[in-house]
Amino acid sequence: MSITPHPGLPEFDYIKPGSLAEASQFLAEHAGEARLFSGGTDVFVRMRDGLWTEKYLVDVKALEGMNEIAFDLSSGLTVGAAVNMNRVAAFPAVKEFYPLLEDAIRTVASYQLRSRATIIGNICNASPAGDTVGACLVLDAVLKVHGVDGFREEALNSFFLGPGKTVLKPGDIVTSIRFPIPPAGYAAKYIKLGRNAIGDLAIVGVTVLGYPDASAASGYRFRIALASVAPVPLRPVKAEELLASRQILPETLEEASILAMDASSPIDDVRSGARYRKLMVRNLTLKALKIVWDKIH
Amino acid sequence: MSMHRITVNVNGATEVVDVPANMTLLLMLREKLALTGTKNGCASGECGACTVLLNGEPVNSCMVLAVECDGAEVVTVEGLSSDHQLDPIQQAFIDAGAVQCGFCIPGMLISSRALLDRNPKPSEYDIREALVGNLCRCTGYRRIIDAVQKSAQMERAPGD
Amino acid sequence: MEKQKTLSEELPRPIGQSVPRIDALEKVSGMATFADDIQFGPGLLFARAKRSPHPHAIIKKIDVSKAEKLPGVRAVVTGADYPGLTGLYLADRRIFATDRVRYVGDPVAAVAATSEEIAEKALELIDVEYEILPGVFDPVYGASPEAPLVHPDLDKYAVVNFIFPEPGTNISNHFKLRKGDVDAAWKECAAIVERTYRVPHVQHVPIEPHIAIAKVDEKGKITLWSSSQSPFAQRNLIAKALGVSHADIEVIAPYVGGGFGSKAGLSVEALAVAVAMKVRGRPVKMRLTREEEFFTAFVRQGLVAKFKIGCDKNGKLLAMENQLYWDAGAYTEYGVNVTRAGGYSSTGPYYVPNLRNDSYCVYTNHPVGGPMRGFGMPELHAGLEQCIDELAHEIKMDPVQFRLLNCVKEGDEILTGMRMHPTGLSQCIEKAAQAIEWGKKSPPSAPNKRRGKGLAIMWKAPAMPPNAGSSAWVELNEDGTATLGLGGQEIGQGTFTVMAQMVAGALGIPYENVRIAKPVDTDYSPYEWQTVASRLTWSMGNAVVAAARDARKQVLDLVAEAWGENPEDLDIINGHVVSYKSEETISLKDIVVYGLPKPGDQGWRGGPIVGRGNFMPTYVTGLDAETGQGPRAVVHYTTGAQAVEVEVDLDTGRVEVLRGVAVFDVGRAINPDLVKCQMEGGFVQGMSTALFESLKLKEGIPQNPSFVDYRIATTADIPTEVKAMYVEVPQDDGPWGARGVGEHPMVPTIPAIANAIYDAIGVRPGSPPFSSEKIYLTMLEAGIVG
Repeated sequence: MSITPHPGLPEFDYIKPGSLAEASQFLAEHAGEARLFSGGTDVFVRMRDGLWTEKYLVDVKALEGMNEIAFDLSSGLTVGAAVNMNRVAAFPAVKEFYPLLEDAIRTVASYQLRSRATIIGNICNASPAGDTVGACLVLDAVLKVHGVDGFREEALNSFFLGPGKTVLKPGDIVTSIRFPIPPAGYAAKYIKLGRNAIGDLAIVGVTVLGYPDASAASGYRFRIALASVAPVPLRPVKAEELLASRQILPETLEEASILAMDASSPIDDVRSGARYRKLMVRNLTLKALKIVWDKIH
Repeated sequence: MSMHRITVNVNGATEVVDVPANMTLLLMLREKLALTGTKNGCASGECGACTVLLNGEPVNSCMVLAVECDGAEVVTVEGLSSDHQLDPIQQAFIDAGAVQCGFCIPGMLISSRALLDRNPKPSEYDIREALVGNLCRCTGYRRIIDAVQKSAQMERAPGD
Repeated sequence: MEKQKTLSEELPRPIGQSVPRIDALEKVSGMATFADDIQFGPGLLFARAKRSPHPHAIIKKIDVSKAEKLPGVRAVVTGADYPGLTGLYLADRRIFATDRVRYVGDPVAAVAATSEEIAEKALELIDVEYEILPGVFDPVYGASPEAPLVHPDLDKYAVVNFIFPEPGTNISNHFKLRKGDVDAAWKECAAIVERTYRVPHVQHVPIEPHIAIAKVDEKGKITLWSSSQSPFAQRNLIAKALGVSHADIEVIAPYVGGGFGSKAGLSVEALAVAVAMKVRGRPVKMRLTREEEFFTAFVRQGLVAKFKIGCDKNGKLLAMENQLYWDAGAYTEYGVNVTRAGGYSSTGPYYVPNLRNDSYCVYTNHPVGGPMRGFGMPELHAGLEQCIDELAHEIKMDPVQFRLLNCVKEGDEILTGMRMHPTGLSQCIEKAAQAIEWGKKSPPSAPNKRRGKGLAIMWKAPAMPPNAGSSAWVELNEDGTATLGLGGQEIGQGTFTVMAQMVAGALGIPYENVRIAKPVDTDYSPYEWQTVASRLTWSMGNAVVAAARDARKQVLDLVAEAWGENPEDLDIINGHVVSYKSEETISLKDIVVYGLPKPGDQGWRGGPIVGRGNFMPTYVTGLDAETGQGPRAVVHYTTGAQAVEVEVDLDTGRVEVLRGVAVFDVGRAINPDLVKCQMEGGFVQGMSTALFESLKLKEGIPQNPSFVDYRIATTADIPTEVKAMYVEVPQDDGPWGARGVGEHPMVPTIPAIANAIYDAIGVRPGSPPFSSEKIYLTMLEAGIVG
């Protein structure tokens, strides 16, 4: 074993299937030996590390439906899996109807990496630190998956099983993500804490979405997603329940932030300590809640 | 390992190149085409020294496979000037004193060129954001940001 | 015609002018050649090194047989092939570890193969059997009798006469400073501050990683291409290590993509040469990956600094008792001098009459500490300037006034007994305080933020042997242009530009007519000790000016003889020789190569003009081994001050540097803009180490050797403005009074920011880096946030 990553990529065969059916079949037949990629920004890094050693890299960028981005007022926003993050952020309907998505995207890495990185890639990577995952969760996004048995949908909140682990099976290719029309009168905010002012991985990431809802006792519902503070992107359910049931006062927001903090289970790692992360969940959730609350009431 | 014959337009010239699957665009440019202006700083997509334009968009060429560039258009720092005339952004860097060791400069120029092409009137924040993926250890960045701002002003038609 | 003022009276053009860089066009067009850009053709081999995964272990067995058989492999070398010791100041290092490995990354073998991939694969086929030894991971522990010895043979190593190892310990240099009566002085002190600061390891992070290409021909002549700050020192060290003549080693040094000290001395080059010796006739390229760059070449050593500083009721500093424990790493052949420099500067830029300071260079099983911008000064000042600030507050004195009272002034007897030369330090302090609007508090940008201002001062002398020399030649070309031969390297600091200016100014030709003979090549370039220590403008500048003046003298002597005039009445202006007496003029063209014809076709006089010059300081003395006292410890000190304004976010602990001010006494700014560029860049590099940087080592294993987790400042992190200013108190033996400033701008930045944080939140942030996490938890502990 090398003590540091290798200078270059290991050897592999580059496969460019002509159709989704061909791609799913190849991936299933070569399970464990083949890996699909779109932007490649995570794959190449891990291969140079020696962590991923697949013999086949399968380029799915050009397959059916992967490159389209479209919006309509009934189904919402559909983003093909190979559409790079910059393209999503610049899409007019995103700016108008899903500004949270643009905000979250713009915190990712660098403009160059966003020319290759994709939201789906961020999701399938299943890193708890993924910046756009929170936005996808609070926007109730749905994944369209093509597998050996054809197409199906996967809900995002049951998609993650652990760091780097998802419900996907060999042969599965996520082809697009759909964001339904968000609730009327909603507002959302993503606050990311990194070491640099921008461009770092998230030490803690807090996404908050809120909207008026007559069916809630408080008159409002909030969706909160936390990044980097649990093995998977976390929805602090107790905090959300509190905000739906109790009148929204400054104390309510504070209490909800503490519930969010209590729900999180960050670790000490080379980037940050658990104690700080927990306190930042509290502080940043409160900040995001206040910003959203100010906009929706 | 699979070998691939690709056709790629680099700085306006059509190149037909045989590349192994695992060769990055960066290594293809440097080792197959002797275009050594684009630099290898980290091989991880972190430092931006390898930034080139791929179909008009700035990318870290160390994070792109050469084989993915079949049919694509690539512009490197060598392609910024034409007919021995510097691109305004290159002249702006000289005038602002934004060059020290020079190793980050090709990547900085490409990222800056791409920014001005998509946003001719960038704010200070826009410039900082566009260049956050280009690391520099010598200059402290201020003159680089000023050079981009100056070039933007020079390039806009009078009256803008 | 009026005689133009002499060089000493007025600055000749383009001295003092911000001319554009001589290398800017090359660099913006992508044409500037760095080492990895040189084309070697299909015969090029690639080398990779097998490195120890253990911080401290005995090498029981190395088996390279499988690696040798891998198709494409051309050579495998180990320490058995190169057992000799080498080192700049202390020969404690081998090219490959032989008996034991002493840090994670210590090279034990290397492979040359037809591709980098094959060489890398071959490493996996090299089997090494280790016996793990207990490691030393802290310098205070390392200096104690309990610690295992990292170099049991310390007493056998060759060492220069100004470094003092303590055999039987891990202390490879102990610098002692004793002056006055410290114990009595404490009794007079109205306030004493005692603090310990831990400055972590950081790395230079040049954007261009280390790289070397070596080729050895059939006769054994070595050619080495390297991204190098030290072509001549590398030639020297290789010659000594391999027993080869200097004349049979050629080091070619193209542009350096950032060095900051990491590319001084010998690191990757030795490995490349060692491998190339086994593969006669073919060039072998070895380059470090970014991850290897973080810890296998040089790092900046860590420091545990214990300060005890006292002053009287009027704020006058009376005594210091400082102990510096340098976490110098596995090999300290270079780091021993950092310890020494730390020692003879250990009061900081202050007059302190009573001292008991000790500076210990301690072996640890950590990456190799080497020269990094500041050479011990940033590490020292990080804690020292916070203690000074604290002491000022204790005595209820304004920290700027405290510094103005105590800072070194001309004539002061400084810590080594040397008399301080003229310096503009007080002016720097005043200008910095004024520029940051010291004493005026500006309101925070939001209710959850706090603002503060801090100031810190510094000094540094070039740290080098007393006889480090420079030389230069100036050759005039047929068209009157000049080519300058020099041995110093362009690493971004602008030395090629400034030297061209000096030739133009000293010779009398336009700046545009000067070229540098590049790349620097030890076969034809004149000797230069190293491109370090902020010494080139001053030392190489002196040599360059001497060479230009020598050429000028040859030209004037020739023309004077031809015209029957006195050379004193002639001058060279804008490429023409002019006579103030006869008002004759003649262009330099042709005459500087072909000479001048004698009248009546009776022959010729003159010949190709080549000027030469050298400079070596002659007045640096040794220092007493027990007291550190001596008439002249250093050539000179460059001094300066920085002030910053920060804003702290109470919700996250993030520190934002709003603006910075930097003022340094440079003696004479040969190119004012380039001087400012050093100050701007150094400030940001210093700020980056203050806020973000630390090479995290756990049981000797680097935890964050990549850009992902070793963060440096980006465009997003810089302040709105770094105002760079300079003061000019001339250096008596510098070219037009110039003194160096390359390193100094990153020296006071950590404490300036720390002091500003204190001003903002009322609590000292302690040891760097001042990450958001550190500041938030500090505020939490102090009850500032809940």
